[in-house]
Amino acid sequence: MAMAVFRREGRRLLPSIAARPIAPIRSPLSSDQRRINLHLFCREEGPLGVRSISTQVVRNRMKSVKNIQKITKAMKMVAASKLRAVQGRAENSRGLWQPFTALLGDNPSIDVKKSVVVTLSSDKGLCGGINSTVVKVSRALYKLNAGPEKDVKFVIVGEKAKAIMFRDSKNDISLTVTELNKNPLNYAQVSVLADDILKNVEFDALRIVYNKFHSVVAFLPTVATVLSPEIIEKESEVGGKLGELDSYEIEGGETKGEILQNLAEFQFSCVMFNAVLENACSEMGARMSAMDSSSRNAGEMLDRLTLTYNRTRQASITTELIEIISGASALEAAK
Amino acid sequence: MASSAAVPFWRAAGMTYITYSNICANLVRKCLKEPFKAESMNREKVHFSLSKWADGKPQKPVLRSDAPEV
Repeated sequence: MAMAVFRREGRRLLPSIAARPIAPIRSPLSSDQRRINLHLFCREEGPLGVRSISTQVVRNRMKSVKNIQKITKAMKMVAASKLRAVQGRAENSRGLWQPFTALLGDNPSIDVKKSVVVTLSSDKGLCGGINSTVVKVSRALYKLNAGPEKDVKFVIVGEKAKAIMFRDSKNDISLTVTELNKNPLNYAQVSVLADDILKNVEFDALRIVYNKFHSVVAFLPTVATVLSPEIIEKESEVGGKLGELDSYEIEGGETKGEILQNLAEFQFSCVMFNAVLENACSEMGARMSAMDSSSRNAGEMLDRLTLTYNRTRQASITTELIEIISGASALEAAK
Repeated sequence: MASSAAVPFWRAAGMTYITYSNICANLVRKCLKEPFKAESMNREKVHFSLSKWADGKPQKPVLRSDAPEV
């Protein structure tokens, strides 16, 4: 400890002396070699010419790694609290579209002329791999559905997917939506969005790609299919689940076609609402685990740096001791 | 009673069912009394920015940040 104090004092006293030049090696070295030698001398002499291996560099790194660890821990807490808030709403909103699936069935493998793929992603980053999985699934859907006379267009929600899709599928994008998460998610917002999509894009089938939230560590990319009313009519003639629609009695003065149209629009809106909520949940969960592993990595890095720091510190103390002792013994021997 | 060929008035005006149901919901929200009214009006806030794309280029984004009865 006294050594450390002495060293610190030494550092304060020595600036006047330390204007001594770092001895240039007068030999035919290349400029790189000279620079490396300079570097070595500098490191050995410390920032102010003190004769100790510098622990300053390691200490700076430790400070910055510790700060990063604190920040990522805080982000994890924030994501965890946001997750808790959205999770309840997402699970409750699942009940919105379940009656539709019971009535109309889910037809992911339907073959239509015009499909529109709605890709949901997040605006902010640092959330692990969820956005890239969603984009992968969207691209796969594109390949599945593209072909002669068939048309696939993208509607992208969220900045992250926009950036990724822009690189290779930009000619197929028809709409992008951003800043959806500025206010807390509510049905009114999503329904206006659904309305805009309906008005701007022609479709026979809408495939919504999102991350379904199963648990805090598990989110699976899912595709939800919503058909346009004309296709439903066509399918109901074929039979199957949709064929039973005719057995329902329709009240009021509306025809089956009108009811189907209303239902299709409302179904799209409900499915979008649920998909957006589940995607938000998955985003929070992914961010939690990403920040968690990041803090753990920072902790490990800090451990390693602490070991290096201690080793350098002890080495420099030992060097000083050796110098002092050899100096003292030389004086004794000279006596 | 409407004949089977007539469309409901709102569809004839160009609205979708979604817009229609949103307007109805807004009316119901307005009928609540305070403080429930303020809470539920909070749930109606809409904000997002939409931009159409043509030939791989985004056009000017339209910011929709108003009451949801648009």
